[in-house]
Amino acid sequence: MLRLTGVFRFDFSSYFYKYRHLFLFTLALTIGGCTPRGASEPVQTLHLVVGEKLKGLDPVLAEDLYSGTQSSQAYETLLQFHYLKRPYSLAPQLADKMPEVSADGKIYTFSLKKGVLFQDDPCFKETSGKGRELVADDVVYSLKRLADPKLVSSGWWILDDRVVGLNAWRDKALRDSTTQYQSEVEGLRSIDRYTFQIKLNRRSTQFLYFLTMPFAAVVPREAVDFYGKEFLNHAVGTGPFRLQEYHPGSKIVWVRNPTYRRELYPSEGAPGDREAGLLADAGKALPLADQVVVQVFVEQQPMWLSFLSGKVDISGIPKDSFSTAINPGHELSSDLAAKGVRLVKTPAFDISHLTFNMADPVFAKNKYLRQALSLAYDQNTFNEIFFNGAAMAAQGPIPPGIDGYDPSLRNPNRQFNMNKARELLAKAGYPGGKGLPPLEYATLAGTLGRQQGEFTSKMFSALGVNLNIGTYSWPQFLEVVKNKKAQMWEYGWSGDYPDGENFLQLFYSKNASPGQNDANYSSPEFDRAYEYSLTLPEGRQRTETYQKMVKILVDDCPWIFGSHRLSYVLVQKWLKNYKPNDFNHSNYKFYRVDPGLKK
Amino acid sequence: MTTQVQTVQSAVGNQVHPTSRSLWGDAFLRLKRDRIALLCISILVLYALVALLCQFGWIASPWDRVVGSAYQPPNFASIDLILGTDLFGRSVFYKVLHGTRIAMSVGLMSSLLSIPVGVFLGSVAGYFGGWVDDLVVWFYTTVSSIPNIMLLIAVTFVLGKGLTAMYVALGVTAWVGLARVMRGEFIKHKSRDYVVAAESIGAGHVARIFRHILPNVSHFVIINISIQFVSAIKSEVILSFLGLGVQGQPSWGVMIDDAKLELSRGVWWQLAGASLAMFFVVLAFNLLGDSLRDALDPKMKH
Repeated sequence: MLRLTGVFRFDFSSYFYKYRHLFLFTLALTIGGCTPRGASEPVQTLHLVVGEKLKGLDPVLAEDLYSGTQSSQAYETLLQFHYLKRPYSLAPQLADKMPEVSADGKIYTFSLKKGVLFQDDPCFKETSGKGRELVADDVVYSLKRLADPKLVSSGWWILDDRVVGLNAWRDKALRDSTTQYQSEVEGLRSIDRYTFQIKLNRRSTQFLYFLTMPFAAVVPREAVDFYGKEFLNHAVGTGPFRLQEYHPGSKIVWVRNPTYRRELYPSEGAPGDREAGLLADAGKALPLADQVVVQVFVEQQPMWLSFLSGKVDISGIPKDSFSTAINPGHELSSDLAAKGVRLVKTPAFDISHLTFNMADPVFAKNKYLRQALSLAYDQNTFNEIFFNGAAMAAQGPIPPGIDGYDPSLRNPNRQFNMNKARELLAKAGYPGGKGLPPLEYATLAGTLGRQQGEFTSKMFSALGVNLNIGTYSWPQFLEVVKNKKAQMWEYGWSGDYPDGENFLQLFYSKNASPGQNDANYSSPEFDRAYEYSLTLPEGRQRTETYQKMVKILVDDCPWIFGSHRLSYVLVQKWLKNYKPNDFNHSNYKFYRVDPGLKK
Repeated sequence: MTTQVQTVQSAVGNQVHPTSRSLWGDAFLRLKRDRIALLCISILVLYALVALLCQFGWIASPWDRVVGSAYQPPNFASIDLILGTDLFGRSVFYKVLHGTRIAMSVGLMSSLLSIPVGVFLGSVAGYFGGWVDDLVVWFYTTVSSIPNIMLLIAVTFVLGKGLTAMYVALGVTAWVGLARVMRGEFIKHKSRDYVVAAESIGAGHVARIFRHILPNVSHFVIINISIQFVSAIKSEVILSFLGLGVQGQPSWGVMIDDAKLELSRGVWWQLAGASLAMFFVVLAFNLLGDSLRDALDPKMKH
């Protein structure tokens, strides 16, 4: 669903997507914060920041990363991504266990945790302000609310055409003057107080991932009715923090929710987490912090200065300060290191690539030609020039951290080797490039697009292969790719959900252009494995199938696999338990301050 | 007081030595006395020479050879490194020289394309008047009402990108100014005595336009070339900066575009090289244009 230009920038903070489907994987640079430290401030106070004015806290309207993260402190979803485990895996949040799935994969039965309370709020008039228990009807109500056309939620796509009868319900609501929440939807029913069922139109491998998004959080009807339009500026959820102060343009203060259920810090993690101290708080009740002060910084420079003076706990690195914060060896500069600041590098959830258009006769049947070009393309030099080294050469289509990624994979066609490339080019029928007409190569018209085109051209000309570089604006470029009007182009993909399938579907023959299979790759063997993998649940068998598919791609070489970018985040020495997680939006509850280190 | 005396003296001198020199010969003499004009001409000759030598591959060839590491700052150790290197380790100095080739060729070709069009349309409009005039005026008003850069972009989109497209794009948009001037001059001249005399001895329209009037207004064309050249060079840089200009070849515009991303890391030499090269050629053309105007204007004779 999400195409990126192959032309990545250095500036990670520019990836603050504001579009609905871009939401899920945005690099979480919601970071750091500063406020004058009042005398009354509890020791366990986090100082974090958001980089944009907040739109509001209503989950169905939380379409950008900032609002989504903030609303996730007060509202919770049925499922969440495990905070520590990698590859990313699902864990229950409001659900008391993972849902039961019917044999045909269409019916999900959820049971809820018992005794989960909404936060105390004046909207609960019957209990004179005491928060009541969350029940199955609340989930049904909240999902219907996401489908309510009058709220124009940009998160509707996660349910659109997926849940039985929900589209009909929405169409009716569009005609009615007021939305009839009491009218039944076949695919969305509560069975008893703690159990409910979702029926899908067809099997979907991603549906459960969608349920972790802030859009799908559970809200109480009383609050929506009580506050009306002002609901946007209140937060009455089941989450770990209560809203204390809310100034969407400057500052938000969260305090510990005293009625929060017993939720524990995870006691299992990924390899290396224990050594990194991430399991020191295992089994402690969440949230670990008493208060979170979130400062809104629209400009990066003041945020950066606040971080340097210790008023902010976590920070990204503004582009203009990159060279002062990171030394040429890609490590922390000595003055930051002396302050005890930690640099956390994580692979972003994306891949850049050069695509061979397999619908083109030159590339269609000539695997040796594709392999030769792949071998002649020096990715490490590329990463040095264009990413300051803040990227890793991709060996296959799946980025690290998700199911199907194999850290031991060394793609034989991606180890820069000119001699082998020349051999293969001769085998392909073009010794020294003779007889091969210049290849039509498409890139973007911007500065980086042109420079990357020049780079590719230089790489291939060493092999005797020439390029005709066409530069296009983004819409023109999409046209070229859709209509297969070039032979090669540079492109990128940023995943929608942490599943290798999201990257492998780019090679499924039925997704060929105008679908997302821009290489127009078609392999019956690959297709069979892909279709088989869709029927498998998470687990070893599925992972093995993914890796088998990757092997086919590595050999067939429909892309020159490019880079996975690395994101750089700085953390103060006193902030504990920080682990980058692009998919869990309620991270604040895991963070803790070590007061001994904060002087 | 002094001025008056001088004026009188030179007027007298003129009478004493009645000139037999043509407008051109006279202008040439006056240019020769103008040191700034001479300096400008030498600069332009130098640029033209560099452009030609690059064109034939006699200097700075090949321009895309890697001469050092990426972003090496300028040093005088070797001629390659005199302006440092770019992100692929290529010599910025060579790129500047090849940029000269592109800029000069664009200036020349667009002038060659636009001048005949401007002269022809301007002269027929001014000479014939009536509906011909209306049509031409309507046409160039329409062309000039479209923002120049938008029109250039449209033309490069239609013709595809590259050098040829840019020659044409600049040629078809740059004739308006000259056409306006020519039209005005033709209106002034067409009823002058010498034209009426030519008509009375049987000269037809074509002869009157091209044999009689045009030579008398042709110095405007020369002046216009110097202006046209400058604007073509500037447009080339802008188009290349926007990614619509030359493809796969060095150009000052492309270099400035590169510099956009380099400046924040302190790499200034690519910007400096391209800007200075452009600065001197544009300045030389502008000063020469002024001197030419002075030299060729009969009213400035004394």
